[in-house]
Amino acid sequence: MTTLETPPTTTPTPPPPPPAMRRAGNETSRVLLKRLAGCLIGGFVLGLMVNSKEGSPDDFGFVFHQTALKPRMLIFLAIGVVIFAGITFWGYLRQHARRPGVRPLGMGILVIVVSQVVLNWYDPQTVKFNGLRKLVDKSSGLSSTTTWFFDWLSWTLVALSVVVTGAAIVTRRRVFGWVTTVLGIAGAVLAWTAHSDVLDLGGGIDHSLGAYGDVIGFLILAGAGATVALSQAEVADSRGFMTRVMEYRPGLPFAVLGAVLAAFSYARNCWFAPVNRNLDFAKTHDAYQGTDINSLASNYLGWLGWVCFVVVAVLTLAATYLRQRLLGWLAAGAALVATVLTFFSLKSMTDVAAKSVPQFGKSWNNLGAGGFTACISYGLFAAAAAYVIARPKTRAAGKSATLPVSRALEKARNSANMKALIVIALAVALFYPPMLSQYWQNVLVTQMAVYLLLAVGLNVVVGWAGLLDLGYIAFYAVGAYTTAYLTGSLPRKPPSWLHMTPLLTIPFAIVACLIAGVLLGAPTLRLRGDYLAIVTLGFGEIIQIVAQNNPGNFTNGPRGVEPPVPHPKLEIGGWKITWGLDNLPYWYLLLVMLAIVVVLFYRLENSRLGRAWAAIREDEVAAQASGVNTVRAKLLAFAIGASTSALAGTFFASQTGFFDPTQFDIFTSILIVAYVVFGGMGSLPGAMAGAAVLTWLPEFLKSQVPTDDRQMWVGALVLAMMIFRPAGLLPAKRRKAELSHLDEASPGEVSAIPRGGAM
Amino acid sequence: MSHQVWLHQLPHIVAANAPAANHSVDWFHQLPQNIVIGLEQGSLYALVALGYTLVYGVLQLINFAHSEVFMAGAFGSYLVVDAIVGNRHLTGAAVPLTVLAGIVSGAAVGAAVAWILEKVAYKALRRNGAPKLAFLISAIGASLFLSNLAGKLFTRVQNNAFPTYFNVNHHVFSIGSADVSLIVLIIIATAVIMMVFLDRLVNKTKLGMGIRAVAEDAPTAALMGIDIDRTISRTFIVGGALAGVAGFLFGTAFGVGNIMGFTPGVKAFAAAVLGGIGNVRGAMIGGLILGQAEVLISALPFVGAEWNDVVSFAVLVLILLVRPTGILGERLWRAA
Repeated sequence: MTTLETPPTTTPTPPPPPPAMRRAGNETSRVLLKRLAGCLIGGFVLGLMVNSKEGSPDDFGFVFHQTALKPRMLIFLAIGVVIFAGITFWGYLRQHARRPGVRPLGMGILVIVVSQVVLNWYDPQTVKFNGLRKLVDKSSGLSSTTTWFFDWLSWTLVALSVVVTGAAIVTRRRVFGWVTTVLGIAGAVLAWTAHSDVLDLGGGIDHSLGAYGDVIGFLILAGAGATVALSQAEVADSRGFMTRVMEYRPGLPFAVLGAVLAAFSYARNCWFAPVNRNLDFAKTHDAYQGTDINSLASNYLGWLGWVCFVVVAVLTLAATYLRQRLLGWLAAGAALVATVLTFFSLKSMTDVAAKSVPQFGKSWNNLGAGGFTACISYGLFAAAAAYVIARPKTRAAGKSATLPVSRALEKARNSANMKALIVIALAVALFYPPMLSQYWQNVLVTQMAVYLLLAVGLNVVVGWAGLLDLGYIAFYAVGAYTTAYLTGSLPRKPPSWLHMTPLLTIPFAIVACLIAGVLLGAPTLRLRGDYLAIVTLGFGEIIQIVAQNNPGNFTNGPRGVEPPVPHPKLEIGGWKITWGLDNLPYWYLLLVMLAIVVVLFYRLENSRLGRAWAAIREDEVAAQASGVNTVRAKLLAFAIGASTSALAGTFFASQTGFFDPTQFDIFTSILIVAYVVFGGMGSLPGAMAGAAVLTWLPEFLKSQVPTDDRQMWVGALVLAMMIFRPAGLLPAKRRKAELSHLDEASPGEVSAIPRGGAM
Repeated sequence: MSHQVWLHQLPHIVAANAPAANHSVDWFHQLPQNIVIGLEQGSLYALVALGYTLVYGVLQLINFAHSEVFMAGAFGSYLVVDAIVGNRHLTGAAVPLTVLAGIVSGAAVGAAVAWILEKVAYKALRRNGAPKLAFLISAIGASLFLSNLAGKLFTRVQNNAFPTYFNVNHHVFSIGSADVSLIVLIIIATAVIMMVFLDRLVNKTKLGMGIRAVAEDAPTAALMGIDIDRTISRTFIVGGALAGVAGFLFGTAFGVGNIMGFTPGVKAFAAAVLGGIGNVRGAMIGGLILGQAEVLISALPFVGAEWNDVVSFAVLVLILLVRPTGILGERLWRAA
């Protein structure tokens, strides 16, 4: 079939003209023709990708006939033509795209389209916007605005906003801008009320994000209108505006965001959700009247919660507005105290409910999102406070002998950004998972968690030391099987004095992986990049086949471990934690592991060893000549990476209980490399983000495309990412410095060998 | 994931090994037959390995999507052969002509896919000066995409046999105790012809000279008036055509499926490294050695067919320990 995709011309394109020349008219018709052909082919392939048909072995041409030779293909070809026009006339378009309000308008529409096409709107029925529209049409008892909203009003509002904002931008009449603002606010209110209306009628616990996305999208539209109306300038400088705000009142946007979120959570959000009922904060207080809940929680529900919110919000807003470091510390402390108070109140609430009315569900299963949202908003307050605390001391910086003022300011700004990000990430990682539905909690623990650890570990080998390890999964397998052996889950039993609980096996698994890493590394690390790749690939394959073939009846072969690996438990003094079948506790176990690993690795990155790795990665010969013991450094990278995957192996083994050799296939191993590079090679947040996105995506796609097609979309996304953003999602700073000269075009020169030197 | 499929695709190897399991005498008895099978497998590996090695020569990159080019060639030739054969019963000269059509269509589809692949997954990145690993990942993405697109368009069922238009297992002749069936003869003969052709192409033609020059030193080659982009593009086309032919031959012998490329791809990559990656003759020798080693060693009474893949990688590691740049070394371009 692919022959059909061959465009008429077979000669490669000449080197690209410098950007200044990239305007329509200056280009030869040959280039234009090729671009058109490319865009049409792209549209054609998109048309092949988007459909619900699947091939059958009886007739290989079936899907092709159904997709390629139907009128619907014209739509996709039209998309190709639009893209072609977009690229060709980008020079003209860009001038207009920089007019104030255009970007927020585009973003708002994008958010609205995504939330009305892609996201779920009502979980109990698992429907999207369109599905909910059909349900709404069938049911009675909803207000007419709700029906209208789902039927035609929402899309009409979007279309109207586009037209009116366009008119505002073209005619520069302020009135039109204000009209868009009104439309946007109306849309947000309507979306919110329509969704709550549906919830009131249908009941049930709803985790869906569609309505929230819609509200945010309409608010962005309103913002776009306001920008058009208020802007004096021809050209908007939104980034510059943001920087100015952050310089002038550091952290203020975060504080405002936190205040909005917290107010929303205390006023509207569901705090307590026993079987299909949603009680907000005030109603929860009423519900707990007369129960044997402790006084802290009782007071919290009565008045303490609101006091927490008000105190923290006022302190943080004051701190960010007045730029007072002391107030910043106070605000951060208050936020921490408020978080702790909220958490313990939630705990006693859920315990009391679980104890007194068993059918409400186990502890932590009967809570709504409200309490956790409040905790996240305290995290936002703390992040805002962190900005104030880390505010550069301009006077002190001026006195510094080593750094010029601007550099010192930049450094302080970076560290403030970093601190705020860490606080927010921690708050979200701690308090967002409990809000997820059971399904997503399961995904989080069984799909994402392990790969987060593995990606962080592989980042040391691939990202920092620059060793292409395609068989990383082998160490993971060694770790998992070591744990299984020591807990007595394999046919060969350990001696009784070695029999232990899963968490105790961690050091042994690490040692086993270290040995495996050194065994593999010692002979092969003298090899250069690509040779290492194939040898490690072979090692991964060998370990899997060994596990499969079961020599000496050690691994139990394809039947997998038997009996299951026990769940972890921890006993320190009188303090006892056991993990069971619930997913959420494993997430916190993983979070602890991840935190330890990330802190250790963060320290490692800029240590002597980390710099040695960077040197090896960039130029091994030069590193050796400068006195770096390259074999030792590479072995250490291998060993450290291997021990991280041992940790992941132990976690995986004790979490799932059962596993077999097919779970350690070489393809997964290659995918982990893809996670690391996708996220941004050599950057810890990047590796984690890459793993999170690429493990989340297939699950997310389950509700969007036929199940079998998910890998196809993931592949296309990875390909597109590498084409448009080769450094990854969150590039490492050091890499970014290397790639920073990309902006300068090198028109005449085409290098055959990619930059980046040795692998 | 797919090596199980691969093992089951080789029923005659397993059959050849089964009686050898207990008596070491049988190993010698089976030796000629196993050498023929090894030659068959080795030539397929070599054809695919040539694609890896050619691309590595000019770009210093492992083209991870090459296995999907192989798969595309198999599917393309399947469609063509299926269209020719239909429900008819072919006789006489029509049969060899159909085989020829399969070979040509496999080569054409393989070349086209490789050409598009280079345009999409490599050229854009090369222009952006992306880090080396980004190329690897874009190739992995392309590989995922292509194999699943083929699965969606055609079928996700594996091992679809080509339409029968000649008896694949027809016994042609015997050398001692080794029987040579028709498909084995076709595979070996085609591979030999293709390899001779490629060797001539690389060593004698202007394109070959360009490829060698770019592999040797790209900036200098550009100074000498060689269009690097065009050379790279054509290198992909040549490698893709070889893989497409290999796809047709493999499909005729063992069946077609959308993940059929993965394991042969990995093996062929190993073969390319074994011979010395970037080295055309090395890839041929590496493929043949790997094929022989796999069949002969796993036929040993104390090894067994389930250790097939382990054997090939163990051989690779052992040879790399002795000769760290492969059997023939990396740079034979100049020797021609």
